[in-house]
Amino acid sequence: MLGELINPYYLQVSSFILINIILAVSIYITLGTGQLSLGHAGFMSIGAYTTAILTLNYNMPLVLGVIIAAIVTGIVGTLIGIPALRLQGVYLAIATLGFGEVVRVLFINWDGLTNGAIGLSGIPHLGREIFNLSKSMGIEPDMFGLKNNQFISLAVFFVLLIITISVIWFFVRQNNSRIGRAFSAIKMDEEASEAMGINITYYKVLAFGQGAMLAGFAGALYAHLMAYISPSDFDYHRAVEILIFSIFGGSEVIWGSIFGAVFLSAMPEFLRFINEYRFMIYGALLVLMMAFRPQGIIDVNMMNRFKRLMPKKRGEKKHGTGNKEDQ
Amino acid sequence: MVLEIKKISKNFGGIQALTDVSFSVEEGEILGLIGPNGAGKTTMFNMITAMYPPSSGVISFVGNPLSNLKPHQITEKGICRTFQNIRLFSDLTVRENVMVGNHCRLKTNVMQSVLRTKAQKAEEARVLATSDEILEVVGLANDKETIAKNLSYGAQRRLEIARALASRPKLILLDEPAAGMNEKETNDLFNLIKKIQTLNITVLLIEHDMPLVMRVCSRIIVLNFGKKIAEGTPSSIQNNKEVIEAYLGVEEEDELA
Amino acid sequence: MLIEQLINGLTLGSIYVIVALGYTLVFGVLNVVNMGHGEIFMFGAFMGVVVTNILGWPLYIAFVVAIVVTGILGYFLETFALRPLRGKEGVSHLAPLISTIGVSIFLENVAHHFFGSGNQPFRTSLSELKFVLGSTTVYYVQIIIFVIAILLMFGLTFWLSKTKAGKALRASAENLAVASLLGVNTKRTITQTVIIASAMGGIAGILVGIAFNSVNPQMGLSFGLKGLAIIILGGLGNVRGAMVGGLILGMAETFIVAYGDSGYRDAVAFIAIIVILIVRPQGIFGTATTGRKG
Ligand SMILES: Nc1ncnc2c1ncn2[C@@H]1O[C@H](COP(=O)(O)OP(=O)(O)OP(=O)(O)O)[C@@H](O)[C@H]1O
Ligand SMILES: [Mg+2]
Repeated sequence: MLGELINPYYLQVSSFILINIILAVSIYITLGTGQLSLGHAGFMSIGAYTTAILTLNYNMPLVLGVIIAAIVTGIVGTLIGIPALRLQGVYLAIATLGFGEVVRVLFINWDGLTNGAIGLSGIPHLGREIFNLSKSMGIEPDMFGLKNNQFISLAVFFVLLIITISVIWFFVRQNNSRIGRAFSAIKMDEEASEAMGINITYYKVLAFGQGAMLAGFAGALYAHLMAYISPSDFDYHRAVEILIFSIFGGSEVIWGSIFGAVFLSAMPEFLRFINEYRFMIYGALLVLMMAFRPQGIIDVNMMNRFKRLMPKKRGEKKHGTGNKEDQ
Repeated sequence: MVLEIKKISKNFGGIQALTDVSFSVEEGEILGLIGPNGAGKTTMFNMITAMYPPSSGVISFVGNPLSNLKPHQITEKGICRTFQNIRLFSDLTVRENVMVGNHCRLKTNVMQSVLRTKAQKAEEARVLATSDEILEVVGLANDKETIAKNLSYGAQRRLEIARALASRPKLILLDEPAAGMNEKETNDLFNLIKKIQTLNITVLLIEHDMPLVMRVCSRIIVLNFGKKIAEGTPSSIQNNKEVIEAYLGVEEEDELA
Repeated sequence: MLIEQLINGLTLGSIYVIVALGYTLVFGVLNVVNMGHGEIFMFGAFMGVVVTNILGWPLYIAFVVAIVVTGILGYFLETFALRPLRGKEGVSHLAPLISTIGVSIFLENVAHHFFGSGNQPFRTSLSELKFVLGSTTVYYVQIIIFVIAILLMFGLTFWLSKTKAGKALRASAENLAVASLLGVNTKRTITQTVIIASAMGGIAGILVGIAFNSVNPQMGLSFGLKGLAIIILGGLGNVRGAMVGGLILGMAETFIVAYGDSGYRDAVAFIAIIVILIVRPQGIFGTATTGRKG
């Protein structure tokens, strides 16, 4: 009976939604210090290609490939974040957009390693790996009354779910600390923050590096979920898509960005005809949001109201940023 | 001597905001820095807190020159300021603003914060206690959860002071804290400044409210057109001819305008 | 060979200049980087395809149609994406950037929808006409593009410095608030500016269509990014800077293709801006600004 309920297609869609949530969190972190990055597609591609090349060419285990991919992207992000510090607003946006394009051009032209515009295929599939692993541990799909593909999709979904929850947990906790307070102070007034003793250089680079690393991590997972990547997966459209998750859902609170990712990636599944017009809708949404609700659908006020409706759990109160997510 | 200003000049692309200004701030005193609009008072604060580098001159804090430091390092050393045109973190609560002020006295890093280690929890508890204490001092204990931008003007000015106090300064720089305050609020401010003095914090005060300055300051420096024109006790300043002329000149201009 | 490359570089550079001037004009007056400009330019190019190829009408009509259509698009962009954000309390300085990104994505996908993703040809006999000078072949189109670019440069400079509307523009560029105090109708001035900038994009679109004989929905992005690179090279809002920056980029790209690796052509602009932003964030011709603190 479990077997009838599980539809691999929906699980697969849900898995992609989880990756989009990680991407939304990655841009949320960077935006959280007032830095607008249009380079997140570039970071994502660095993560994806790193793990793809490591696992394909060097037979590296998938887990190790993903971890190294995240670290490499984090380092690249930090290296970009340092000069990016000197750039304000518009300049930073354009420079990161440029960065993304340079990365894409690089991957297109670096034929020997990346197979150029055609891309890399046959990347070890996350589901396959899990399947083989559980088989070697003596766990078989039919023990749960599942077909192989059902088992694989379900396992992938749960693994990604655990990863995504951990990521959210990490950043919610970070937000509710000295670090998170520094982030939101910097977003509101950089100079005043500096005058109040916050090392803005450190925190802005930290946020930029964390955002990049997370985007690279998501990119690596994406590669192992798709098993095929090409430079066109990581173009300007992707960068804008990542941005719109957060802008639409809400860039003030992490839950807003997460909501944005879930809503915008699930929408085309419910409204089929939308897929064709998806980017037109995204474009119109950006214009409308800026005009009518620049903070996004879910903002601090809404979170506070929501919290008041919830019964108080503990007497303890935590003070992080303006958005106390985990109370 | 807490702070020593030696021959500081500042030129903003042609505008000479400060010219060879020297003075010193003694431990424990409340020193007034006054002068007509545009005299260069705020610019002097910007020099001390390293918001801009001076064109020439040296500033030393407890005997050490402050050159080549960043603003946050100045704060760590023990100098903190308020802003003339209130610059609170307007979407944070009152308490969170003060907690941000305490930032440079805290040590926990990313991993400790995420893992909520014992040290981190203890530190967070300390921050909360410190902030509540300071809010008590400035009289905002009842507004802890208020969003900063919803405070009254006078309360916002007091929150600016609280936020600066949270960095545990040896020297606090107040830029027109009484601006926009009514008589009662100004009176409370007088008491607050006196209280700050009893906390062993030296005060450098920019203020246009002359009665307050004369009452609260033990010594006064007067700037006009970027130059120091007088220095002395309130009574000597009140009777200084050059100072009176500087202020009268401004009043005449005001009448003309 | 070298001379031919120089001419090619000059042609490409001239086109870039026209695209960049559109950005510069809007930034100079509104302090906004209009991320939708590249797509408006692309629409201009498609109008050329529609007029010359689909309808089979003469080229000059293509110019007229492109100017009108892109002007209207500019008007819509100002009305929907920029005006609602102006003077509103608490609007981040990134808001207009984000809303014009919205416009760019929207327009690109509209073009995609109507014209498909492939390359569309231009049908004009003009692109074949050429003459040989010694050992170099020169196309008339190249001369026309260069001349139009120069005319637009001078026209714009003249318009900015001499005419009444130009004065209003400069007044609003220097300070929108002051301009409205002085009685300059800022709303009209701003709208006119965006329309003119967009129409210039339309002209550039037609010129690109003639020069390369291929038009697609993605070209808005690629040319737009180059335009952005140029205004950063030249300093935001700086007309002279945009001209020099455009010509430099055109030359650099042409020579990369001729003597280096053509695959990296599109990276030149961005490596240049990243370097410029790090070394001299105000651009080659820009002046550093300081904000007031206190
Ligand atoms: N960042 C800056 N760029 C250019 N000029 C500046 C800058 N900051 C201050 N000035 C100029 O320096 C001079 C002194 O300004 P300052 O703000 O220090 O005066 P003030 O004494 O604080 O005046 P007020 O009492 O009005 O606050 C003024 O002429 C001002 O215009
Ligand atoms: Mg001042």
